[in-house]
Amino acid sequence: MEIEGGKISGSQLLALLVLTRLVPVTIEFPLVTGIKSPQDAWISSLVGTVLSILPVLLMVRLSLKYPGKTIIEYSQLLLGKFFGKIAGFVLVWYWLSIAATMLRSVGDAYTTAIMPETPILAFILVVGFLSANAARSGLEVVGRLGEVNMLVVILSVLLTLSLPYKVMNFENLLPVLSKGIRPIMLPTGTAISFFVEFIILGMVAPYLNNPQTLTKSSLGAIAISGFMMTAFTVVLIAVFGPTVSSLMLPAFSLARMISIGEFLERLEVIPMSAWTITVAITLAFFLWASAVATAQLLSLKRFQSLVYPLAAISVAFSILFFESFFDLELYFKKIWVPYSLTVTLGISIILYLASFIRGRSSASTKVTGLCHRNH
Amino acid sequence: MGTRARASVSPQLFAHWFVDPSGSSVWSFLRVECAAGSEPAIPSRFSRFPKNIGRPIMALLCSSAKYLMPTQFTVNKTFGKDDLIMLRNLTRLLRKNICSVSKPSQVKKDSVGKPLSKKVKVNEAFIRRAFGNSSDLVVRELHVGPGGKFTVLLVYVDGLVDKTLISENLIERISDQADKSRTPEQAYDDLKNRIIAVSDVKETGDLDNFLNHVAGGYCGLLIDDVAKVLVADTRGWAQRSIEEPTTEATVRGGKEGFVETLRTNTSLLRRRVKHPRLRIEECEIGTISKTSVAIAYISGLADEKVVQEVRNRLARINVDSIQESGQIEELIEDAPFSPFPTILRTERPDKVAGALFEGRIAILTNGTPFALIVPATFTMFLTTPEDYFERTFIGSALRAIRYLSFFTSLTLPSLYVAVTTFHQEMLPTALILNVAAQREGVPFPAVVEALLMEALFEILREAGVRLPKIVGPAVNIIGGLVIGEAAMRAGLVSPIMVVVVATTGIASFATPVFSIAIGARLLRFIMVLLAGSLGFFGIVAGLFALGIHLTSLRSFGVPFMEPIAPAIVSEFKDLLARVPWWAMHTRPALVGHKDLVRQGWDQKPKPPVYLGKDAHR
Repeated sequence: MEIEGGKISGSQLLALLVLTRLVPVTIEFPLVTGIKSPQDAWISSLVGTVLSILPVLLMVRLSLKYPGKTIIEYSQLLLGKFFGKIAGFVLVWYWLSIAATMLRSVGDAYTTAIMPETPILAFILVVGFLSANAARSGLEVVGRLGEVNMLVVILSVLLTLSLPYKVMNFENLLPVLSKGIRPIMLPTGTAISFFVEFIILGMVAPYLNNPQTLTKSSLGAIAISGFMMTAFTVVLIAVFGPTVSSLMLPAFSLARMISIGEFLERLEVIPMSAWTITVAITLAFFLWASAVATAQLLSLKRFQSLVYPLAAISVAFSILFFESFFDLELYFKKIWVPYSLTVTLGISIILYLASFIRGRSSASTKVTGLCHRNH
Repeated sequence: MGTRARASVSPQLFAHWFVDPSGSSVWSFLRVECAAGSEPAIPSRFSRFPKNIGRPIMALLCSSAKYLMPTQFTVNKTFGKDDLIMLRNLTRLLRKNICSVSKPSQVKKDSVGKPLSKKVKVNEAFIRRAFGNSSDLVVRELHVGPGGKFTVLLVYVDGLVDKTLISENLIERISDQADKSRTPEQAYDDLKNRIIAVSDVKETGDLDNFLNHVAGGYCGLLIDDVAKVLVADTRGWAQRSIEEPTTEATVRGGKEGFVETLRTNTSLLRRRVKHPRLRIEECEIGTISKTSVAIAYISGLADEKVVQEVRNRLARINVDSIQESGQIEELIEDAPFSPFPTILRTERPDKVAGALFEGRIAILTNGTPFALIVPATFTMFLTTPEDYFERTFIGSALRAIRYLSFFTSLTLPSLYVAVTTFHQEMLPTALILNVAAQREGVPFPAVVEALLMEALFEILREAGVRLPKIVGPAVNIIGGLVIGEAAMRAGLVSPIMVVVVATTGIASFATPVFSIAIGARLLRFIMVLLAGSLGFFGIVAGLFALGIHLTSLRSFGVPFMEPIAPAIVSEFKDLLARVPWWAMHTRPALVGHKDLVRQGWDQKPKPPVYLGKDAHR
């Protein structure tokens, strides 16, 4: 029996991937880069987008090479049982830590911006519980939720980006690259470090309706979310100028600037709601991936019973890891980039090399041992 | 095996029960017992609970066994003593609950297996005993053949038969023409082939079958010295005439509605689908009520697998009676505990016919005007036939209004609570000052105020539904006064709350199908509580939970939120907007995939060229 019975379509995968990227974009992007020349932040996000095509293509190729297998399964094939499992557990840890940061950012966003007197645990618990429920319902449900939410999110992002047109001043974008390339190198790394979260498609690839859509969906997701991220940065710089890099919750500050007529004012709650659902869906996606991965690592037949424990762990992480919003910010500035890049790039490059070597050796001996072992 | 053999239930059986992936076997057994009306045996350790608690606990225990053992396993290890004791206890536990499954109570049938007697008097006595001398059983004795040698018995139930038909086409003709038969067998053949002037005559040798026919309105004929009987279709009873459906009135469209008689309803369908491919399969459900239930579909359009699934689910029903299609709905639906229905019910034949043309399947039940349509999707519940009959723009606009009002009826009170309690900055300053001034005298927080008024409104609505027409207006006036004026004057609620409640109420009436409006009505209270505790975040959490639930629903294999999630772009033609009919080329992809193209392409009407020239002359 398959561990996950559902299948999702290419467009659902695209929606999920875009949503995954959207969470860091809207909540913390220009802030966490620690950029020295804020008016160039948009260049770094553009360059980061383009550069991240390469690692994502690497991950896609790996998944296409082993159709019907998740990254957990083929890493064990390629690296052997022991090292493969270690890689698998590292990935589960990675996804859980992402889940923890996301939970924390929801909680912080609400306690900072809207309801300062409510304990942060209230928000974290509610979102964690709901996401766990969604993840338990399977990939199909997560995919459908992502698809529906995608429309809402795109609409609200477009509105947030276009409605504060009165206060935009595009001269803030000048001068371009006044301090040379050096200051935008780290922010570019940050942008890439978020894109490599796409390693999760190693878990989804076997559950696609049509495996051929994998490449298209991932590249489409990069394009869409790269565009959104760049547009966001441009608008933010245009509205706030050089102060942008010190904004907490830049997207909500932007939504606050909306003022149309006398009655459409201070509507930040609406994009905030859309964003909350986005976080919940993304969280469900990561919880699903880590639950399925853990189930495969431990050779269980059902992943559903693992979802609640894993969700509880990520809730606990989100409380234990970070004391305050500034901890989260610090984490993204100092730790996240090397951590994320090492884990994802490290694993995918090692796997790719291994498959390359194994492919050659099996080709030379004309034994399709790999395929045999697969079935 | 030795001592191990003393475990009287095989371990494999146990393993099966305990890791039954759905946990359904135990549950369904318990349900069967409840349906039978007999008290299920409750194991002693639960007997100190009241029965209605002990039973669910037992069911829960058994069905949650799947969580205890996440993987299927086969038992082939040898058992130790502890295992055996555990096994024995479990055996007792399960045997009490499962092995003593009783079937739903049947009417005791004396007739089962009893062959028909040759002697008419014996049969008559038997029939009278079977019906217990019911006053509406009529047995009429006629004498036919030369000199009235042979006795013919007419048996029917008064009130279920067309009396003119019986007197003119049976009694009159039998007395006139049945004199020439020499032998009883000849008389029987004559009756069957020549004399009886009723279109449908069946022959049976089985008393049980005979009794069922008589109880269903057939007229039975018995002849002395012949061990066979004839049943003639003489059904005819008083029935409601075809009227405009009261629950689904439309401005444009046919005014016919289904009635309580199945045959009339199938004829209403046949009149709209004049094609031999319209299949109507009939079955009987209910061991005592013997309700006729028909499955209607268009062969070649409906997916045969779904039809088979409908047949299977209907065949699985094992109850004593079916009064209304609602019972069938609850017995066959996919999500029994969902607040939303996954089967659409309607009393409009045009709606059913429209569904059949899309490849769906209808279930008609005798005794109720409400037909069921499967597979049903969420959008169907917010659709009326009028959307398709009115011009495309107005049809689309009406539909958009309906979606809006469904959303309003679900969230408006909670939005009010959230905004006034947590997010006052969202309102324009003048309005929020106004609201604050109005709420100044109100002693309750907004959430209590909202719950109070909503509850009051629900009471008023419930009272209004079932009142006699003479008292109705009085209650409405009093209720309106109570809700609108007096509560406000008394300082219980603020005027804006009255506006909110009234809007919500009206919005919930704008949902065309009552059964889904009820779902929103119940969830509204939960949403208010969430909004009262966590503001907008609470509402968002509630909506997200709702989203998880709705997207995981399926109706007969079709995702419930079908064109929205999963998004099917080709179906957007009939979602929020309804494209003109000439652009409605294909059937819904997931339902009508057997024969996707429903009409010709390029049918957009355009004025002929020559008319334009004429107009210029």
